[in-house]
Amino acid sequence: MSESAKDKIFQSIREANRTIRAPEAYPEYEDSLLVSQAHLEFPDDLWNDFGRNFSAVNGRAMDSPVLLMSWLREQSCTFGYCAPELYQAIGLALENEAFEISCEFDRSRYDDYQFGITRASGAVAESGSVILTDQDTPDRLGALTPWIHIAVIRPAQLIPTIPEAIRQFGSHSNIVWVTGPSKTADVEGILIEGVHGPGEQVCLLLHES
Amino acid sequence: MSKGPVQPIDAFSANISRDQRDAVMSSCVLTTEKRRDILWRDFPKPDVLRELAGKIKQHTLDHLDLYLEQATGALEQNGVAVHFASTGQEAREAILGVLQSRNARKIVKSKSMVTEEIHLNPFLEESGIECLESDLGEFIIQIDGDTPSHIVRPISHKNRREVARSIERKGLGEYNDDPATITRRARAFFREKFMSSDAGITGGNFISAESGRLVLVTNEGNARFSLAPNKLHIAIVGIEKIIPKDRDLAVFLNLLARSATAQQLTVYTQFINGPTPPSQPDGPGEMHVVLLDNGRSEALASNCREILRCIRCGACQNVCPVYRQVGGHAYRATYGGPIGAVLSPLLAGKSGFPELADLPKASSLCGACREVCPVDIPIPDLLLRLREKAQIERVTSPGTPSMKLFGVLASSPALWRAALTAGGVLNHTPGSLLPIPAMKTWLSQRSLPRFQGNEFRRWMKYRKGSKE
Amino acid sequence: MNQVLSAKPTGKKVMLMATCLCDAFYSDVAKATVEVLEHLGCEVTFPEGQTCCGQPAFNSGDFETGRKVARHTMKTFSGTQPIIVPSGSCAAMNQHGNSLQFESEEDRAAAADMGRRTWELCDFLTDGLGIDSWSGTIQSTRVALHHSCHTRGSGTRDAAMALLSGIEGLEIVEFGEDDQCCGFGGTFSVTFPHLSGEIGSLKLDHVLESRPDKLVSVDMSCLMHLSGLGKRQGRDIPIAHLSQVLRDAIQEGKNE
Repeated sequence: MSESAKDKIFQSIREANRTIRAPEAYPEYEDSLLVSQAHLEFPDDLWNDFGRNFSAVNGRAMDSPVLLMSWLREQSCTFGYCAPELYQAIGLALENEAFEISCEFDRSRYDDYQFGITRASGAVAESGSVILTDQDTPDRLGALTPWIHIAVIRPAQLIPTIPEAIRQFGSHSNIVWVTGPSKTADVEGILIEGVHGPGEQVCLLLHES
Repeated sequence: MSKGPVQPIDAFSANISRDQRDAVMSSCVLTTEKRRDILWRDFPKPDVLRELAGKIKQHTLDHLDLYLEQATGALEQNGVAVHFASTGQEAREAILGVLQSRNARKIVKSKSMVTEEIHLNPFLEESGIECLESDLGEFIIQIDGDTPSHIVRPISHKNRREVARSIERKGLGEYNDDPATITRRARAFFREKFMSSDAGITGGNFISAESGRLVLVTNEGNARFSLAPNKLHIAIVGIEKIIPKDRDLAVFLNLLARSATAQQLTVYTQFINGPTPPSQPDGPGEMHVVLLDNGRSEALASNCREILRCIRCGACQNVCPVYRQVGGHAYRATYGGPIGAVLSPLLAGKSGFPELADLPKASSLCGACREVCPVDIPIPDLLLRLREKAQIERVTSPGTPSMKLFGVLASSPALWRAALTAGGVLNHTPGSLLPIPAMKTWLSQRSLPRFQGNEFRRWMKYRKGSKE
Repeated sequence: MNQVLSAKPTGKKVMLMATCLCDAFYSDVAKATVEVLEHLGCEVTFPEGQTCCGQPAFNSGDFETGRKVARHTMKTFSGTQPIIVPSGSCAAMNQHGNSLQFESEEDRAAAADMGRRTWELCDFLTDGLGIDSWSGTIQSTRVALHHSCHTRGSGTRDAAMALLSGIEGLEIVEFGEDDQCCGFGGTFSVTFPHLSGEIGSLKLDHVLESRPDKLVSVDMSCLMHLSGLGKRQGRDIPIAHLSQVLRDAIQEGKNE
């Protein structure tokens, strides 16, 4: 059934395009045309630009675990999920400061985790976006269901522009660019944060240890 | 006194409640302003980008068989099962077939205008499948048995009080019209629904022919949540959503969110390259894409093919003086406003065109839509072509004056001058007494200036004469 | 100088397309156009066989009738002289409208030629004759300048502003949503009267908020609709075509 639909559709398309006198050529263009220079003030300091743009969409950029911990305490959030591959780098430090950490995401208690800490694959400075891939963040739910998501990146993972981020797609089967906390303005255009995704989106910069 | 409005869209304007009109108008005006601000803040020449995006899309359409072939190959290479559907019915059956074969009965859905177009939900419900709209606006629409009035902001015709009543009717709590409360309740309701779902259904903003990547552009996190806890993903995408290469996504992503919601990017931009590998704990290990025609290839064959460039941003709806007065429901079709006035009659095909032939006429041809379209669609030209089509196919529209007499007068200088003389009667007789419907209509709302036929001509003749 | 406009034939010997609207209802606008052009040293001829650019038929989708009328207009204005028209709408019809209407016609080149020779008045003054400001005086007047939709995306808006800005005593006042249509739309005004009235009333709301003394435009169609609505609603506003403002400015200046 689908095969004949496929044939029918292709035939229809070919017939339709047979009548065009001057088909449009593919336009050549430079990536630089697409970059919003207003968003890149410090080409040598991508974290600065990223932070500015991420904050502009109410993301929280933090460059030290200490900052993260004091903020989590302010939110009264003491129990969370930490991806096992990040335990050494950050989970342990949190536990030492009396946070309760689980390195296993238990689906049956997904609403118990007050925060989720997972690795990000990169961050786009131009747009203030954190890049999540299945390769680095296999636990999609751990990054999605807690109210607070903390995406962890290293300085070398910062990418300046959107075109560059696309160039680095590689063969990842799933890539998500996260540009702030989830939001909606469906009711009278009033912006509300925290819909089906996290209501707080943090990006933690961890320097190479 | 002339009789009431005869055109359905004009009648809608006369009958719409003040509340509804104000809701539509204010959201349109605000979004239009914010769109302009962000585009001009971020780019020195936004029109250059719009033209570029338009060319890429037109190029793709002009070579659609090649790109569709390439996209299909890439999708299949990525492990996606590709289905083709000539009609809405075929698409619904394909989707139902997949769901039934996997015994999937609880579905969560993210917003997709294409699924509205094919009326997917009622069809699935008939087969005992629960298909929940997880986008907040679409959720309210579903509770109300309503249809979206805008292609990006489904409930732009509703105010918070109406939304609060819908939430209450759904059993999610006592009446509370605070938008934050409404949103929290929807969030709480959906979490278990996502977690226990059997499948997620989405639309698709773009498919890259080069890599087969399906791109989803959302804000709420519902598309992500529809595709994390369950094992099956079905996406339905119009055949015109193909773009040539991954790098072209930068052009469209820079324009789409700015045009639609005045954001640089929406919160979540997903690039899905196939089902998740078995090693991956979360995510659908099975992915299907339904490629839908449903009148698109017929539109491609028409002289309005440029309309297929559309990336569904809604900017044209926001800026349109007519849409602002009535909202999307006035257009009696899935797509309303300027995009709908062209697309809906076209998708209706040969047999359906007459029923929607009035849509392209509900426009003053102001051209504001063309100026904001991120893919540079010459909408006013297409509206005119559809008006010509109605004329040629003798599809009459109530209240449209025939131009034959005008044609006779305007191609004969003698008759024209006689008409200019005869028109003087307007200065002595109330125009409303003249048997000219257009005159009666005009005079029911506006006064007419003094008729001055031949005055300038006499002056000009005298002026020339006195110079010689 | 506007790239597109600089490719058009110009000069001091011109033909006037008065527009059917001015022919019927606004004779002084056509007069003022002649007076302005002659003030600048132009020799203006008025081909008497002219009727209409044909837009009403074209907009209705009756391209056959539209072409018939356009062909008559092409015949009436045959030659090489620039064709000056005090209307952005008619100019756009000759240029863009006809390119659509005559797309598959054998005489599309002739239609295109007429389009190429057609100048909206302000465009002609600024880009054709190189006038970048209008020296003149009027009594202190607050002017709301309505940009007709057919001038969207063209240099006409800037040209109109430039010409008005030079007039002493004239203050251009801003008003909200100035980019939005007035709601006339030709036959739209009578086939969709409720919409046309609502859109027009909204425009009047915005314009009147700026307390202008006069509403000015390069298109009498918009002004006829808005002033007609205004009169009926008890909130009349004096209107003027740009040519009339320019003409009155010269004459007042002369009297000093």
